[in-house]
Amino acid sequence: MIWEIIVSALLVMAGVFGLVGSFGLIRLPTTMTRLHAPTKATTLGGGGVLVASMIYFAVFMDHYSFHELMITLFLFLTAPITANLIAKAYLHRTERPEDLPPTGTDRGWATYDASADPSRRTDG
Amino acid sequence: MSLALIAALPFLGALLPGLMIRAGRTACAMATGSATALALIGLLLHAPAVLRGEVVQARFDWMPGLGLNANFFLDGLGLLFAGLILGIGLLIILYARFYLAKTDPMGQFYTYLMLFQGAMVGIVLSDNILLLLIFWELTSLSSFLLIGYWKHLPEGRQGARMALAVTGTGGLAMIAGMLILGGIVGSYDLSVILTQKEAIQASDWYLPALILILLGAFTKSAQFPFHFWLPHAMAAPTPVSAYLHSATMVKAGLFLMARMWPVLAGTDAWFYIVATTGLVTMVMAAKIALFKDDLKALLAFSTVSHLGLITMLLGFGTAEAAAVAVFHIINHATFKAALFMSAGIIDHEAHTRDIKRLGGLRTLMPITFTIVTLAALSMAGIPPLNGFLSKEMMLEEATHTVWAGIPWLFAVLATIGAMFSVAYSFRLIGHVFLGPVRDDYPHKPHDPGFGLWAAPAALAVLVVLIGVAPMTMVGDLVTVVAGAVTGGDVTIKISHWHGLVPALWMSVAAVGAGLILFGAHLRLDALWLAAPRPEAKAIFDALVDGIAALSHGVTARLHDGALSRYFVIFTLGVLGAGWLAWSEGGHVPGLRNVLPIPGVALAGWLLLAVCSVLVAVLHRERLLALVVIGVVGLIVSVGFIYLSAPDLALTQISVEVVTIVLMLLALNFLPKTTPRESSTARRLRDIAVAGAAGLSTAALALALMMRDFAFPTISDYHLANSYSGGGGTNVVNVILVDFRGYDTFGEIIVLGIAGLLIFALAEALLRGAANKRLLEWVPELPKSGDRHPLMMVVAGRVALPITLMVGVYIFLRGHNEPGGGFIAGLIVAIALVTQFMASGFAWTQARQRVDYHAFIGFGVVIAAATGLGSWLAARPFLTSNFGYFRIPPFDKFELATAALFDLGVFLTVIGAVMLTLASLSRIAIRAGETVNTTAMDNDPSQPAPAKGGH
Repeated sequence: MIWEIIVSALLVMAGVFGLVGSFGLIRLPTTMTRLHAPTKATTLGGGGVLVASMIYFAVFMDHYSFHELMITLFLFLTAPITANLIAKAYLHRTERPEDLPPTGTDRGWATYDASADPSRRTDG
Repeated sequence: MSLALIAALPFLGALLPGLMIRAGRTACAMATGSATALALIGLLLHAPAVLRGEVVQARFDWMPGLGLNANFFLDGLGLLFAGLILGIGLLIILYARFYLAKTDPMGQFYTYLMLFQGAMVGIVLSDNILLLLIFWELTSLSSFLLIGYWKHLPEGRQGARMALAVTGTGGLAMIAGMLILGGIVGSYDLSVILTQKEAIQASDWYLPALILILLGAFTKSAQFPFHFWLPHAMAAPTPVSAYLHSATMVKAGLFLMARMWPVLAGTDAWFYIVATTGLVTMVMAAKIALFKDDLKALLAFSTVSHLGLITMLLGFGTAEAAAVAVFHIINHATFKAALFMSAGIIDHEAHTRDIKRLGGLRTLMPITFTIVTLAALSMAGIPPLNGFLSKEMMLEEATHTVWAGIPWLFAVLATIGAMFSVAYSFRLIGHVFLGPVRDDYPHKPHDPGFGLWAAPAALAVLVVLIGVAPMTMVGDLVTVVAGAVTGGDVTIKISHWHGLVPALWMSVAAVGAGLILFGAHLRLDALWLAAPRPEAKAIFDALVDGIAALSHGVTARLHDGALSRYFVIFTLGVLGAGWLAWSEGGHVPGLRNVLPIPGVALAGWLLLAVCSVLVAVLHRERLLALVVIGVVGLIVSVGFIYLSAPDLALTQISVEVVTIVLMLLALNFLPKTTPRESSTARRLRDIAVAGAAGLSTAALALALMMRDFAFPTISDYHLANSYSGGGGTNVVNVILVDFRGYDTFGEIIVLGIAGLLIFALAEALLRGAANKRLLEWVPELPKSGDRHPLMMVVAGRVALPITLMVGVYIFLRGHNEPGGGFIAGLIVAIALVTQFMASGFAWTQARQRVDYHAFIGFGVVIAAATGLGSWLAARPFLTSNFGYFRIPPFDKFELATAALFDLGVFLTVIGAVMLTLASLSRIAIRAGETVNTTAMDNDPSQPAPAKGGH
């Protein structure tokens, strides 16, 4: 009985965060702020469903499965990369390098600086 | 010897010359001749039985569902023609050995000749009119090859094209006529058709069938107005002219008319069409022949005239006339082939065929002179040679025939035709051989070697023998053949003296008038050249050009290279066919009720519909359209999951990812937005057509879902036998690799070919005009500073072994749970693509050192080997086997050969996807991408580079 409550609570929480994430994706003003929304939906929403699934199959179906952990691992691995690439694209399309805050080192923002790749250096 | 073997021997003999020519020209000729001789001997072995009146048959089922059976039969008519074909063929092979120059490819010549011979024998021996049609077209084709033998001569090529066009058109008409005939009778076998005279002649379709079949016969036998191709076919080497265009191929039309005589002849339509055409051809061609200066042209028109004569006789419709026609076929073959071969000898020796440059050859070429005189006198109809006999009998028949109430028309015109033939025959003898010896021959003529004059001499001997003792030589043969043609018994009496009948006076008058014409030839020739004449080739060329222009116009309107136009035509066609089926079919609504629709499914469906429309609306913003396509693909996957199809969902998702990645790569070099290209009217038309098609398809799907299956479903069998027969519980995968393994084998081959094609296209792209554009390409969007960001490289590296493991897991579990080789291949391909995206193509490729062509090749080979392995167990290709094994301490597990097949699929899929990626990357490198030397930019473990760039 208690396990039913736990599974249901997890599913409801997952749904709430999914809704919050989708709502944020539509309503937040700029691209950079919008980047935060799907990550919430992915991690807390997807994670909630997966944990609920693990508990359900373990308790009610007597079947211990761990592939949900794999799914979580993949999600945590790829979501940041996606956000990074979207941010880079946004920076190139909308912002100018001068308007960005300083990096605190003697090199600028990496996405504007091609010097790290020797094959692209135009000087010697 | 079986009749099928007699017909097949020349085809088998066609394989020999190409090989034997290496042993020399004589060996080649002897090998070819041996095949013909063998067939001739086989034929002659049947001759006694046939001459007694029996009919030999050989029947083989070939395609009984179509009514096409390889049935052969041999009666008198077939015996005569097959004997002519094979006998004269043997002589021609001998003649050609010595006629062809050292530079002419003899192996090729004999190959075409034997092909023709086999096709001709097939025509005369076949018992099934569909089989006859096949051989008929084969004769047209081989004649084309033979006429155009000297490919370097334009008149050879043009003559060959003209012959093929005319005889091919006739053949097409004949196919229609034969099909109608078969439809009337209900069977395509000649032995059945030839007994159904009343049924055929009473049918409404008799006249159309008659006209179409006669079209085929007239084009083949060069009757007016289709006679013009024969003189232009004289561009062929003389052995070809002697064989095809005098003795055999042009007689195929006559053979057809004789073969169909029992069922088609006897009506007024037959008489008026056939006899009139024959008469007109006979007189007109004979007149033209008189004024031709080229030896072969004269003989060609003379052939046309004699073919007209035989046609006319067949057209009379009486048994006696048919008998005379048969007799004249024999006579004409003998003297005409001899004359053609002699013309070839003269050409060979004197290096000219122009009569105006010849004359006085009788002392220089006595043997040729003798042969030509005998044959030409026979052609003129001078006793005691065989030509006189048949010409006399022809005139006799002409006097008995009434044309539309005029009793003397045929007699008078036939006499005129005979007069012209006397004239040109004497011209042949007189202007070439008689008269003084000249001193300006292009080459000093002398008699040829035995090899060249042996064949025409043999025929000349036959001319004399048949003329002197007709009843002993050919009496039995003509009786039997005439009986076969007419379908009844005919008594033949051939003799020189019939009494003082009108035919005799007509012959005398013809000879006299002909001699006068010959004497006055010079003056008449001047008149002839001055008079305007229709030029057949010009008319033909104009006709062909006109039809070609019309076809070109129609094709250009329908087939202009615009894919959208093809789609519209295709869609409208399918819609039309569907509407037709629906309106004719009698629609009854289905019985099932519509189930309540869950909200989730409705939302998904709505999303799918809206996104599909959005793709069309947004297609000019290509990147956005690509995103929407991705959405559509994902919803389809969700749909599959909703309908309990996990394998399909997995496949759809992985294919979606690969497709989007590759399309993005390609889109990099294309404009990201396109301008509006079509007018509003065009778009409205397209919306209407697409909308109609979509709604019709939806209606069809609804109709199908609302009724039960029309046939028992095959999935019951698969579900029942998947575990017991295939060893797996995943029915979809077992179907793919086991039940329908052959289909999958074909599909991976196609996939491999597609990958290779993309590679080849990229190759071509990098060499053509696009290469220049690529070199000058300037990217539209700003370039990223760190194009191999640290996060992506590290995460991708870490994910690689995990993803590969997932791929292997899905591969191995595919037989019993959702998965399989295809999905696993796509997953592994995606893992590899991620590495390329992260670290760049060249860097990753240098470290992978795998040739993707080999992946494709190995994949297909492994799949094929798995299939072939079942041959070792004496089972059909791709029979799978499975068993359960136990390795302690593991549980019992299943091993199946289908897993090896799946491995082939796996490898091919990886190879195809990666090869596509490689091709696109090469284009990128040509467009200016640099090849990085490090795996990632801004590697914190490396020392920072000197500050540079912005």
